[in-house]
Amino acid sequence: MSEAIRTSDGELLSVKLKKVESRRRATAFLLVTPLLLFILIAYIFPIFQMLIRSVDNTEMNQLLSKTAIVIEKWDGKELPPEEVTSTFYYELKDLIANKKHGKIATRLNYEKGGFTSLIKKTARKLDKFDENGNFLDQFMDVHKRWADIEYWLALKRGTQAFHGRKYLTTFDYEQKFDGSIEKIPEKKRINVTLWLRTIFVAVGVTLCCFILAYPIAHLLAALPTRYANLLMICVLLPFWTSLLVRTSSWMVLLQTQGVLNDILVSIGIVADDNRLELMYNMTGTFIAMTQILLPFMVLPLYSVMKTIQPSLMRAAVSMGSTPFNAFRKIYFPLTYPGISAGSILVFVLAIGYYITPALVGGSKGVLISNRIAYHMQKSLDWGLATAMAGVLLIAVLVVYWLYNRIVGIDNMRLG
Amino acid sequence: MLKLTKIISLAAVFLAPSLATAAEVNVVSWGGAYTESQKLGYGDPYAEKSGVAVNWIDYSGGLGEVKAQVESGAITWDIIDVYARDTIIGCDEGLFVEFDFDNDFPAGVNGMPASEDFFAPMPSKCAVGNILYSWNYAYNTDVYQWNAPSTIADFFDADKYKGVRSLYANAMSNLEIALVADGVAAADVYDYMEENGIDRALDKITELCEHPDGGCIFWSAGAQPPEQLVSGEATMATGWNGRHFNAIVNEGSPMKMVWDGQILDYEYFVLVKGGPNQEEAMKALQYFTSSEGLAGSAKHIAYAPFRISSLDIINADEPWFNSPTAGAVRIMPHMPTAPANTKNYILMNPEFYADNNTEINDAWEAWKANL
Repeated sequence: MSEAIRTSDGELLSVKLKKVESRRRATAFLLVTPLLLFILIAYIFPIFQMLIRSVDNTEMNQLLSKTAIVIEKWDGKELPPEEVTSTFYYELKDLIANKKHGKIATRLNYEKGGFTSLIKKTARKLDKFDENGNFLDQFMDVHKRWADIEYWLALKRGTQAFHGRKYLTTFDYEQKFDGSIEKIPEKKRINVTLWLRTIFVAVGVTLCCFILAYPIAHLLAALPTRYANLLMICVLLPFWTSLLVRTSSWMVLLQTQGVLNDILVSIGIVADDNRLELMYNMTGTFIAMTQILLPFMVLPLYSVMKTIQPSLMRAAVSMGSTPFNAFRKIYFPLTYPGISAGSILVFVLAIGYYITPALVGGSKGVLISNRIAYHMQKSLDWGLATAMAGVLLIAVLVVYWLYNRIVGIDNMRLG
Repeated sequence: MLKLTKIISLAAVFLAPSLATAAEVNVVSWGGAYTESQKLGYGDPYAEKSGVAVNWIDYSGGLGEVKAQVESGAITWDIIDVYARDTIIGCDEGLFVEFDFDNDFPAGVNGMPASEDFFAPMPSKCAVGNILYSWNYAYNTDVYQWNAPSTIADFFDADKYKGVRSLYANAMSNLEIALVADGVAAADVYDYMEENGIDRALDKITELCEHPDGGCIFWSAGAQPPEQLVSGEATMATGWNGRHFNAIVNEGSPMKMVWDGQILDYEYFVLVKGGPNQEEAMKALQYFTSSEGLAGSAKHIAYAPFRISSLDIINADEPWFNSPTAGAVRIMPHMPTAPANTKNYILMNPEFYADNNTEINDAWEAWKANL
């Protein structure tokens, strides 16, 4: 057995090496700690906290804590027993005294329409209740809706602390009050259409961007620096302009009475009473989004093409390949890293696009992110909005995972 | 986790523009000619009188933003101009201050207490009345030179009146006029929808939107309908009567309003609970909604002030409207409440929308996406 190697200060070399290594690792970690903390606090944590809302209903569960316990035991086959109605009565009374009944009214309204006015009408008459009488009868006297078992079932389900029903809604399914899961009525289906449309637009825009960006990037890479820089500025200039300004400019151009249509009419391609509808539909969304996202495709492609030796192509041709074959077999494969980087960038940005479709898309160009915004701003159903946002986030992660499996993330080059 | 939330909220508070050292009040409204009328009518006069700066912020409705502000603790809005429906929902959610009406708001110049001087009851305890306005439609007079539409049914008649219509992007207002155009009595529309749902209304609108000579686009900001009419994007557009009036009188646009089947609707102010300057904001709000404050905004837009005493002020001093281009104009005949304009009208029912919000909006949005 050979003697272990020691350093000059008598320590085992392997131990010393490990120490040095771990110290170096600690320093490296310390250096990235601020960034890590920043990402955790400003990014991961808020996202996580937001996503919790999609299943979290603890606020309602706490506001009606006693009712939640007794109503859980009720089987829901017939109108609830006195134990439930009396508990609900006393809790509602407390809520009214604290002016919190409005909150449960809006929350219960998500479960079943008509609850807002039901709670309010009941609240107005609650002080006339005879606390020795039958509560269910008195509830039904105040409003006939209390005789409809679905409102009590909605109360039961609306006071559960956690539930995943928002995720069902995200895909146009609903849980009936008897527990079965069904597709929602055809006239109300919207989300699946929008998911498919969003994916279609994201893929389509990525393709359009690729087709437009490839020649531009090639030109940029092939031109002498002087001209290339000028062209680069042309590519980047819209990049520095506000998104809103660019979208509004497209509106000016694309309107039926807009610049583009005026030109087409004046040169006689289009009849005046038959102007092209380029806006408030999918065409508008495609045109504007492609233009706005184009730089994200051009830049990675350019940076990759710049590194490809022109001599490779010359070598291929000199060895008897046709220029097209040389391009297909030599040049094109070498640009894969740029293509994949650009595509994933454009796709991920496009899948969450929001302002442009809202402005130029009209009703036919609306995407899922507009729907999320709608639930955040207008309907105030934040649970549903976050469920949709969660699904969108997962979709992007899946795309990333697939990309990593197929292409390998190490192959991506941004420059 | 709760603690962390607090720390983050606290950080947000500090990061938020904390320049509110000098007294100022942030008022949020619908922009365009309407905000301008509020600014000229009572915002600027109040700022001059009190030395408190009044900042006007534009939005296009909805409580999402203020809810986010309240939940994060970084509130920047003091006063918001909202639909009746949103005063109900926001009050229920606890976002707004509840008023003690007669104590909080001054009596009218006629001596009547505020609760009587405002000519309709408030939809919630958090609301103070501002204006009465109308959802009516206007058409481009260059397009319909020889056959001018005159009823709400004409708006939906694409056989006789060819051209693209512009509709409000949400269900509100569209369902009502569709039903009236389809033969439901104006007074019965909400009962009808409560009983039978909104399918009939949607069918009527679908018919218009899919008509080869018709078609629909949508507007979401009040300034859009007149713009769309002038640019030719639409030939008829629903909208808020003050915006139409502004385009016709102040800008001389080739447009005309149709009052048949108009929807009378109230608009309110609310005070955000825990806003940056709640006390100053309350004082400002008292001035805004005083007899002279409300009358002041009617100098610049054709919306009826909510106070009887304000209407008296205007009546005593006609021509009251002050157009920058057309000079003084008699405003009372152009108010949504003028007798000639109220021969066939619908009265907006905010309870209906507060109650059936989810159902109606889901159905409407799905309908729109599949159009």
